[in-house]
Amino acid sequence: MRRRWPPALLLAFAALAMTAPMIWTVLLSLKPNGELLKSTQTAFAPPYTLENYADILGHSAVFGWLLNSSIVSLAVTFGVLALSSLAGYGFARLNFPGRNALFVLVLFGLAVPEQSVIIARHQLFSAWHLHNSYAGLILPGLSAPFGVFLMTQYFRAIPKELEEAAWLDGASRFKTFARILLPLSLPAQATLGIFTFLSIWNDYWWPLISATNSDRYTLTVGIASSQMNFAQTNGLGFLMAQAVFASLPILAVYLLFQRYLIAGVARAASR
Amino acid sequence: MKSAADRGEARSGLLFVAPFLLVFLVLLIYPLLSGMWLSLHKADLFGGSQFIGLENYVRLFRDAEFLKSVRNTCYFVVLTVPALTVIGLGLALALNTGSRWSAFLRALFFSSSILSVTIVTLIWRMVLVPDGGLIADVLARFGIAPIAFLSNARLALPAIAITTIWWCIGLPMMLFLAALQQVPKELYEAAVLDNAGFLRILTHITLPSIRRTAIVVVVIEVILQFQLFGQAQIMTLGGPDNASLPIVLFAYQVGFQRWDIGYAAAASEVLFCMILAAAMIQMYVARGRRGAFS
Amino acid sequence: MTVRRLLAAVALLLAGCARHDNGQVQITLQRFFGACEAQYGSSTDVAAAEGECGIITTLINKFNAENPGIHVKTNVVYWPGYDQLSAALAAGEPPDLVTMHQSVISDYSQRHLILPLEAGLAAEGITPGQFTAAAREGVVRQGHIYALPFDNWAPLWHVNLNLFKKAGMLKDGAPLMPHSPEELLSQARAFTKATGKPYLIQSQVNESSAYARNLFTFLMQQNADFFKDPKRINLETPEARRVLELFKELYAENLTTKDQDYTAATSAFLNGGGGVYLVGTWMIGTYDQAARDPNSPLYGGYAVYPYPQLYPGRDVTYADGHSWAVPNARRSAQRQRAIFRLLRFLKDNDFEWSRTGHLPAIQAVVDDTKWQSLPHRRDLAKLDHIAEPLPVGVQRQFLIQQIISQEMQSAITGQKTIDTALGDAERRVNDLLFNLL
Repeated sequence: MRRRWPPALLLAFAALAMTAPMIWTVLLSLKPNGELLKSTQTAFAPPYTLENYADILGHSAVFGWLLNSSIVSLAVTFGVLALSSLAGYGFARLNFPGRNALFVLVLFGLAVPEQSVIIARHQLFSAWHLHNSYAGLILPGLSAPFGVFLMTQYFRAIPKELEEAAWLDGASRFKTFARILLPLSLPAQATLGIFTFLSIWNDYWWPLISATNSDRYTLTVGIASSQMNFAQTNGLGFLMAQAVFASLPILAVYLLFQRYLIAGVARAASR
Repeated sequence: MKSAADRGEARSGLLFVAPFLLVFLVLLIYPLLSGMWLSLHKADLFGGSQFIGLENYVRLFRDAEFLKSVRNTCYFVVLTVPALTVIGLGLALALNTGSRWSAFLRALFFSSSILSVTIVTLIWRMVLVPDGGLIADVLARFGIAPIAFLSNARLALPAIAITTIWWCIGLPMMLFLAALQQVPKELYEAAVLDNAGFLRILTHITLPSIRRTAIVVVVIEVILQFQLFGQAQIMTLGGPDNASLPIVLFAYQVGFQRWDIGYAAAASEVLFCMILAAAMIQMYVARGRRGAFS
Repeated sequence: MTVRRLLAAVALLLAGCARHDNGQVQITLQRFFGACEAQYGSSTDVAAAEGECGIITTLINKFNAENPGIHVKTNVVYWPGYDQLSAALAAGEPPDLVTMHQSVISDYSQRHLILPLEAGLAAEGITPGQFTAAAREGVVRQGHIYALPFDNWAPLWHVNLNLFKKAGMLKDGAPLMPHSPEELLSQARAFTKATGKPYLIQSQVNESSAYARNLFTFLMQQNADFFKDPKRINLETPEARRVLELFKELYAENLTTKDQDYTAATSAFLNGGGGVYLVGTWMIGTYDQAARDPNSPLYGGYAVYPYPQLYPGRDVTYADGHSWAVPNARRSAQRQRAIFRLLRFLKDNDFEWSRTGHLPAIQAVVDDTKWQSLPHRRDLAKLDHIAEPLPVGVQRQFLIQQIISQEMQSAITGQKTIDTALGDAERRVNDLLFNLL
């Protein structure tokens, strides 16, 4: 295959556009607040300092925010993987009354945006006293139908012969599912897991109105709460350092699981 | 006559789907229906409601602010979705090689997607503001006056669109990359043997092969970008003068600032219908050209 | 087997996380004023703290240190935080204390979302007679005290005397002040010509209140009764037109900064970016500190005054105030006591809070020479009787300010004609008030 060459210039420009804001943020975080108050142009040149990061380690609430985001994201991820795998297998392989109608309902759920349900959900959780709790932040994420859709498609594509052997041996449905199909679906699980994790990590509106107690602030809400006030001028370096610091864990997760992401997307795209 | 095996299978099936369905019905379907019911009431955030039928909807369509938010949202989708699709495809085409550079750049272009919206707004505010922003500082080096993107009625929404494209480009790129890698190599080899040029290969082999993915990308992005909220709320508060007010922010303000949740619910239902219509139109167009889609 | 053990461990962990009860009563306080933990962390040195954020942070830290049986947890929200409060109230899990503008108290008191406090306050020895008249009016509704007043504030004319001197507009150490719109324009032109800097610094972007404060002040000065009926605003008047024309002219002639949000404008004044900054009492402390710093453009050259009387009606300026309200929720007697203990502490430290520049809410503090000798307070003495809020019956004042500010911004920047903007503002505000439940 003849090598297709990228219009290198356009690509370079795109790469610059992508990295410039990030580099700018890092540069700002490496400057003392006082200097930035006078002018941000000082960020273009040394001397740089780590004092903002030291301040974070000493005083910032960002650790609490990171912890909450991590707990909620991980819990939703594992929950979604479990629920979607089970339901996906049920829809793909098993015949039960109302199966097709229910699946259509699940598909319909894909088009429902969060905004159409969020107010009613807020009222529901108020009645159940679930606000300002991990449960309140975790449960809504479990209702997303995307995972079920993905896993159903995935299981449908797996040839039936693989299970028939186990079935003939007298294994129960659940055992067949757990011993054979689940391991086979790991790539799809990896993709679903990462997408779920990312989308819950970035969730803004729900935590904003449900976790109003700073104890339960997730990262998005915490970072939002520190914006839009005077601290943004006389604490700009610190604010930027907080943003950089808060991004590191998710960047680490991303770098570790990149491979699964790409492979998984490939699978999803070919369905 | 249903055999025992069939009944056993039915029971198993229901057990497998029950956990998810329970959560799905209680936390998605029920609030959806409840929200629709709520939209038919004049309701206060703190209790108290009165059935008023479709009056909220009538009021919405006479509400200049709401209509502006609808126009803004549609404009925003038009600004972002084609750009995300085209740029995503372009990047995928450019980076569909096995080289180390490509791998590095792929990772780079996806890295912005993993950031949360409030970090993205923090980063981009400091790029866009005329007082001390990156663009303003760079322009100052050339002696050019700063541009007030976020406070200019015509530039605010495009500025948010650029922020969003920067943020969201990873997913379309990855989806296209995956699709490109599925295209059988033989097709390309045959084209090379035929001495086909780059453009010919693109239009006759590449694009048709990834058609399905392109549709998926467009549908996903349309649904996503209709739901614009965080960027507008934090960067411009929907201003100046509601020039960047999306429907979701309108609903949020009506619900949690004016405490008029019946009205807010009605606005969300209108958004839902718009998204549903957009998605269905695209599915229909997609299905119309070729056979069944999934 | 291992699964069961794992579940048991998780259950224990969750139970442990529930409520760590070491005998401490925990109360939650929601406030704005910013987050400054980088600077003040856990410092309890209130006297050394500066600015709203610094002083309130150190005050709460000090209370926690002095009251080991009580732990105050602070939720910092971005201004004004009423979205979160509403969400928390709707969820049935509101904070125990919340900062609330006096102009907003009616919205919550009417729905019984905040509690009357006179009994609890009286038990701590706090009576309404101890408040200043303005503070008392700000927190009393239908004979009940619905919040502990913390301060009263007004928008002010902050002046960079160094630049005024350069423009030759300083006389006996006092800046030249305008007494009519025409004078304002001519002085502004002279200033800008002489110094090359804009006369006014204004926060104009993402700004939901400054515009409205200006409008209200200058409408009141013209005796325009724009809220004769608290349920209807009347803005399509020649008085309102005059005010908008003035600000539009200032904008058109580049006599004011442009495109700045609150943060940018606040620091622009610190950096000597203009002659007069229109902002409130809360910046006095910070600017005064800068005026004592030889490296600052404000060194030795900062003064602050109430808004000048530009119209022949009367000398008046719009005002509001901060207060502490207690959202309606079921609480143990212990927690109730802790809340009022904290309120008592805040009241006792009203002087420290007033070092920000806000006007004290406690009459004893105002009468004390200690407060009177704080810098610039003498220049603001007349705020005592010329500061006026909107009529008490006007609801949803913050939303009204937001609507008016949006429309004013459009008119001033030339995107709408003044008449259209005033008409739209009037229509939107009346629509809002009409549709209130």
